[in-house]
Amino acid sequence: MLEEALAEIRAAASLEALQEIKVRFLGKKGRLTQAFKAMKGLDSEERKARGQELNRIKQAIEKALEEREAEIRVAELAAKLEREREDVSLPGLALPPGGYHVSTQILDELVEIFRHMGYQAVTGPEVEDEFHNFDALNIPPHHPARDMWDTFWLEDGHLLRTHTSPMQVRYMEAHTPPFQIVVPGKVYRHEATDATHEAMFHQLEGLAVGEGITLAHLKGALLTMARALYGEKAKVRLQPSFFPFVEPGVEFLVWWTNPRTGEGSWLELGGAGMVHPAVFKAADDAREKAGLPRVYENVTGFAFGLGVERIAMLRYGIPDIRYFYSNRLAFLRQFPRP
Amino acid sequence: MNVPYSWLREFLPKLPEPEAVREVLDSLGLAVEEVHHLPAPPAGVVFGRVLKAGEIPGTELKKLEVDVGREVVTLVSGAPNARAGIGLAVARPGVVLPDGTEVAAREIRGVTSEGMALSPAEMGVGEYAGGLLELPADGLEPGRELAEVWPAEVVFELELTPNRADAFSVLGVARDLAAKLELELVEPATEVEESPVSRFVTVEVADPEGCDRYLARYAGGLEIGPSPLEAQRKLLAAGLRPINNVVDATNYTMWELGGPLHAFDLEEVAGGIVVRRAKAGEKVITLDGEERQLTPEDLVIARKMGSGTEPVAIAGVMGAANSEVTEDTREVVLEAAHFDPVRVRLTARRLGLSTDSSYRFERGVDPNLPPRAAARFLHLLQRWSGCTVGDVVVDVGGDKPRREVPFRPSYANRLLGTDFSTESQLVALERLGCEVAGEGEPYAVRPPTWRVDLNIEEDLVEEVGRILGYEHVPTEPLALIPAPDNLNAEEPYRREEALRRAMRGLGGWEAINYTWQSPAYLSLTRAPEPRRFLKNPLDSSKNALRTALYPGLLENLATNREERHRFFFELGHVFLDVEETRLAAVLGGPLIEATWQAAYGEGYPAIKGLLEALAARAGARVEVRPEPHQPLHPGVSGTIFWNDEPRGFIGRLHPEVEEALELGPVYLFELVLPLPEAVREFRDLPKFPPARRDLAVVVPEDVPHIEIFDLIRQFGGPYLEAAELFDVYRDEPLPEGQKSLAYHLTFRHPERTLTDAEVDEEMGRIIAAVIEAGYKIRE
Repeated sequence: MLEEALAEIRAAASLEALQEIKVRFLGKKGRLTQAFKAMKGLDSEERKARGQELNRIKQAIEKALEEREAEIRVAELAAKLEREREDVSLPGLALPPGGYHVSTQILDELVEIFRHMGYQAVTGPEVEDEFHNFDALNIPPHHPARDMWDTFWLEDGHLLRTHTSPMQVRYMEAHTPPFQIVVPGKVYRHEATDATHEAMFHQLEGLAVGEGITLAHLKGALLTMARALYGEKAKVRLQPSFFPFVEPGVEFLVWWTNPRTGEGSWLELGGAGMVHPAVFKAADDAREKAGLPRVYENVTGFAFGLGVERIAMLRYGIPDIRYFYSNRLAFLRQFPRP
Repeated sequence: MNVPYSWLREFLPKLPEPEAVREVLDSLGLAVEEVHHLPAPPAGVVFGRVLKAGEIPGTELKKLEVDVGREVVTLVSGAPNARAGIGLAVARPGVVLPDGTEVAAREIRGVTSEGMALSPAEMGVGEYAGGLLELPADGLEPGRELAEVWPAEVVFELELTPNRADAFSVLGVARDLAAKLELELVEPATEVEESPVSRFVTVEVADPEGCDRYLARYAGGLEIGPSPLEAQRKLLAAGLRPINNVVDATNYTMWELGGPLHAFDLEEVAGGIVVRRAKAGEKVITLDGEERQLTPEDLVIARKMGSGTEPVAIAGVMGAANSEVTEDTREVVLEAAHFDPVRVRLTARRLGLSTDSSYRFERGVDPNLPPRAAARFLHLLQRWSGCTVGDVVVDVGGDKPRREVPFRPSYANRLLGTDFSTESQLVALERLGCEVAGEGEPYAVRPPTWRVDLNIEEDLVEEVGRILGYEHVPTEPLALIPAPDNLNAEEPYRREEALRRAMRGLGGWEAINYTWQSPAYLSLTRAPEPRRFLKNPLDSSKNALRTALYPGLLENLATNREERHRFFFELGHVFLDVEETRLAAVLGGPLIEATWQAAYGEGYPAIKGLLEALAARAGARVEVRPEPHQPLHPGVSGTIFWNDEPRGFIGRLHPEVEEALELGPVYLFELVLPLPEAVREFRDLPKFPPARRDLAVVVPEDVPHIEIFDLIRQFGGPYLEAAELFDVYRDEPLPEGQKSLAYHLTFRHPERTLTDAEVDEEMGRIIAAVIEAGYKIRE
């Protein structure tokens, strides 16, 4: 019987078959159970010997069943895993990846750099009045300095802001020093577009006002920015220049190593300087008109402004600024940023 | 402003080499846009004297007999100024010109031209190509190699800022270099031999506000002809076109000293000169041959004619043809004047006539320059042509005193963050021509009259910085505690950033579109009527400021027709009666594009899902109530309520627009920022089990979900925690035109388990309200 059982167990191909064998031999009506029952008629010596034999058989069958069950389970798992196999090289669901416009990316990066230095980001209107865009910034009517900004005029006498600088005065009208702000935003220049000129682009303006603020602080802020943008080897140079709303006025250059060519050069990145007393006065006059106290009489400050698209063009080697607002996905998706 | 290196060197004999000068100019704020290297004339180009000039019949060409030293050669030239009695630059066959052409003998109309007479452009020494380089006949011995007397030149092209009026001259640039490099400056010579004159003009200034100085001088015994070679070389290098000795001397002096001059033929203005406002409608033909109509805002120089006067120049802008110096001029009146910058600018702008003269007057010319400029002109002209110089000087107005500006070196250090010594600062100002007086702070600094830009203490601080060098400014960190009213100033911007971040996270591509649109396109896309228009648009059709964001995003869908994932968003300004910041999104296809897998997320539920996800990220409650909006499909259009306030619209683009733009179904939303915030309050985590019930309501097809939803929330009692639509059913056994809306309702009490009876009671109230509203419950 043992041989027979073992042969059947070895041949069993599934857990169900194994169960059937188990029942047939070990179940209540199983052959082994019957054999135990049949011992009743034997004498004690024989019964003892028979009992021991049957127990040995029972144990052997149980062991064989267990071993076979384990074998079958392993095989079934292997089969299941094989059935569930997938081609993981297949493309996934085409989820929309999303991404920022490259101008936004650079602006965000700049804003983040200045936030670390304690600046807050504020924004202002794009349709401006002549007062905030020019007069309050010490750019009187009929002054040749106005030629520095080719302007889009509105039929109602307003204009599209030519720089983010009007926010200097707007912010000072409503806030008291000390403070540090940056102003990201769109600006407009009335000029024919070509590879390096766009009528619409983005600027970041900076303004820090308080007691005892010097050109050295400006240089410190710009150096911090330059290093954050271009690494530890970045340097900053100030060169005299002219913007009516700062005095002294400078242009700042940053030593930049082109990652694609490894070549270094000085980039003219933007304009800056110490806030002109006429700008403080314009802000105070406006405050006074609004019933607010004059608070810009004993402070100094610096301001700076830089173009955003140019940084992107240099960083990525974009040859033509006209790509920026075409919003072609072929362009937009080239600048992923986590 | 083009500044030839050799010209600078006349005033600065110890000037370093050009490469070094370039850097110094940059460091002075006289930015060098470009450095041009002008070559000497090519080898083989020689001086030639025109002995004879004859017409070639039937052509505009001339046959020239030119003495080139050992021989006389025949040249053919079509230049208007080719004539006998002048000197020329001649290239014989074999000479290679700067543009690469090799000169060869050519037969033209039966005449063999044994070489070429050259224009400045052909020689490579200037831009003028409209005529021959014309030299005095006895300027050089015929046959002399021009390169021996015409050296190569380096020209700095400066991009000058409008404040530096003084630097629009070679001398002004030289002054800055001298101050920076501590060089000796040799002032230009002005001495002349004067003689008495028999006649001159009277000058009357009727508008002293327009002209605060008018100086006139006399030169006579003139022979109008070409200027000497060296003068022409410099003018050409500076980008000016030599004309004749008198005109060249005015231009030369202007370029050198910065003061525009004008020469009148004395014969034409002998009756006397009046400086006055133009009369309304008065006309004048300017030197460029154009007739100009004037207004009383314009200032003119007029000549007395009998009882009246007639303009002979538009002051500071351009002379008139009627008094111009011609070949026959023998005596000139030289005008060296100072005009009001604003008046000159307005006139030049109105006439669209920007000249070297108006450009300088607008920016500010030294009011004390006229006597010196006139003397320099006379000096040059006398040297060039041997003319007589009159001993008369008419000077209306006279010298102006210097301004006085108080200056504290300690303030300069406070502004610059430097520790420059008082001594070094004052010396720097003196080197720039300032007079410094006083024993201590504040010092009285009197800037030179040519520095019209130095008016306040900060201006002087900049001069100190410029001359002593910004490289001495240290780098310092700035840390400050903002005044309290600055706190949270950036909250609005942070919220914008968060919305952009959320939209990007949902898979949107951020677009940035132009602020201007064409009114026709706005109308086509059913956007609000434009309110604000550009006066001077670049493209005359796109003259309106956009009134919504989605029209630009629709263009982006069209531009990217071939692409997948046409899900764009934009955060930007629109211009209605007020300027608004908005956020808009458009979806031009399924959220998940079909690949080997099926597409997923199409139609209105996709855009609505995006809106809901955006709101969830912002912690806001968002609802959409059906309402028609102009841009949208009237049946798929709703108002967005953000934290219960109406803030925008969502739906499907109007099919007319879809068709017009050849787009498939487009779904979009547009929100007006800033979005209202809800007060956030912590709710304790649930401790007791919820009770769940389902409710199905049968309503006519046109009843929106929100109506039933409102009833459920309104009558659900205090323990209704959530209600969620889980099925919309429209088939048998429901009658045609009816639908069933099925909701999962969750009730929960914060402090105990609700009994079935309590929940039944709440359900009963909801059901009663639904039935009261006229709808049926589906069992």
